Amino acid sequence: MELLSILIFVTALAVIALEWVHRTKVALAGAALVVLVGAIDQDGAIEAIDWATLGLLAGMMIIVGLTEPTGVFTYLALRVAQLSRGNPVALLFLLAGVTGVLSAFLDNLTAILLVVPITLLLADLLRVSPIPLVLAEVVASNIGGTATLIGDPPNIMIGTHRPELSFIDFIVNLAPVALLTLVTVVAGLAVAFRGQLRIDPSRAVEIARIDPARDMRGAKNVGRTLAVLFGTIAGFFLHTVLHLESAVVALTGAAVMLLVAADDVERALERVEWSTLFFFVGLFVMVGALEEQGVIEDVAEGLADLTGGSRVAEGLVILWGAALGSALVDNIPFTAAMIPVVDNLQADGFDAALWWSLALGACFGGNATMIAAAANVTATGILERTGHRVSFVRFLAVGIPVTLVSLVIASFYLLLFQL
Amino acid sequence: MSVVGDLPLAAASVSEEATFGEASRALSASRLAAIAVVDAEQRVTGVFTQDAQLRGLFPGYLAELRHTAFLADDAERLAERARAVGAEPVTRYLAKAPSLDVGESHTHAAELFLHHGLAALPVVENGRFLGMLGQGALCDAADDLLASDQS
Repeated sequence: MELLSILIFVTALAVIALEWVHRTKVALAGAALVVLVGAIDQDGAIEAIDWATLGLLAGMMIIVGLTEPTGVFTYLALRVAQLSRGNPVALLFLLAGVTGVLSAFLDNLTAILLVVPITLLLADLLRVSPIPLVLAEVVASNIGGTATLIGDPPNIMIGTHRPELSFIDFIVNLAPVALLTLVTVVAGLAVAFRGQLRIDPSRAVEIARIDPARDMRGAKNVGRTLAVLFGTIAGFFLHTVLHLESAVVALTGAAVMLLVAADDVERALERVEWSTLFFFVGLFVMVGALEEQGVIEDVAEGLADLTGGSRVAEGLVILWGAALGSALVDNIPFTAAMIPVVDNLQADGFDAALWWSLALGACFGGNATMIAAAANVTATGILERTGHRVSFVRFLAVGIPVTLVSLVIASFYLLLFQL
Repeated sequence: MSVVGDLPLAAASVSEEATFGEASRALSASRLAAIAVVDAEQRVTGVFTQDAQLRGLFPGYLAELRHTAFLADDAERLAERARAVGAEPVTRYLAKAPSLDVGESHTHAAELFLHHGLAALPVVENGRFLGMLGQGALCDAADDLLASDQS
């Protein structure tokens, strides 16, 4: 049964990585299989689902979905682009910066969906290729998402699984290294892309002429919507003081948002990405089966043997291993499988450093390949739909160096401050 | 019993060998929201819609943007795009659409219009294209019923 549960999980990971079938179908089929073959019983399967993660994700989807029509994110992206005054390096840094910040406080996929279309428009106006700008935004979304508990799905899973790690803990321990990494890799990308980002000064005038607030002026409920958004973010900062889990903060924010900004609840709930939530359900059940069959314990013991029980070695192996795993498959299923492994490794007591290693590895590893994170798949998909195809190899040419630099920075950070 | 074949149909179609430019001109001339694209045996392979026409003539990123009130027309860019897209094969812009058989009811036609979001559908007889049924033609027929009832 142990081998069967491993076979089902590995096959599901392979099919997800190769994109033969939609990942939600694969995860749900895998979950059904592990229950049907008896690798986990029905009650165990229900218990294996991390409802806090699903609640946090659903809550944020509703909040962001109802804030988006106000045009505030479009305003932000356009205003930031105007600040560059047509300087290509400044434009690259500013767009990467706004993507990183939006990723940290919304989530990285949402940030990409908001910023990339504006970037395509800006690139068209400036008569430059959008590809360097969008690739920088993808990288920034994965790095920026590392900075907070709600920024990237791996962090959401870790933060909801270990309530000892507060929203502020994530910011204090991960935001500085994320910021340093972001500045370093975007500087590298600015050098690498310098030949493709020459902007004719006459074109820069076109950007300056845009009135970024135009859409916001006609929008409904802007003030109320922004108040709920910022209130929810404040709630995340205070969730330990308030003795509330982050999922409760997100769902409360979503409930208030529905009350004050949704004329039609059915339409508002269409903003919830049900396929993503069901993907998580399937993953949790498959990983529950691996736990039930003792596979996770075996992996943790193997990891402990490999590192000789050294905390430093464990931290670094988790960091680099999580990055490699995330690069090859997808950082969400990989993190789902690694969370119980890290739990097992620290059976003697809680060790936050190992969780930061996992968060950094999974999030930074999300930059390595086109399939490593949902944000990458989405951004390259938008590029392709608009006639700017980025091949797997071209993405690798950016993703691998960025990931290596990020991991080196993260390794030094962990060694100096955490391990 | 009223059937689709009783309604006025427009002979609005292009071959699948046509270019975007040819299809676009045929669509504009038809005054319909979509025209059929047919193969050499007059089988419907898809429809060319006004949505596809807009998608081809305006920048691809428009479909991705949610807010555009701040945009001004970039005449030079639009002209460049029109020149480039005009020579592209129409098959790149095909949309799938259900076909109505000539003997099908007005009620079924109404259901297809409501559920597929297309304002014109191809009508076929023995699998061969017969003509396009515009939503307006069905509405006119329904309106006639209303008028006769009131008189």
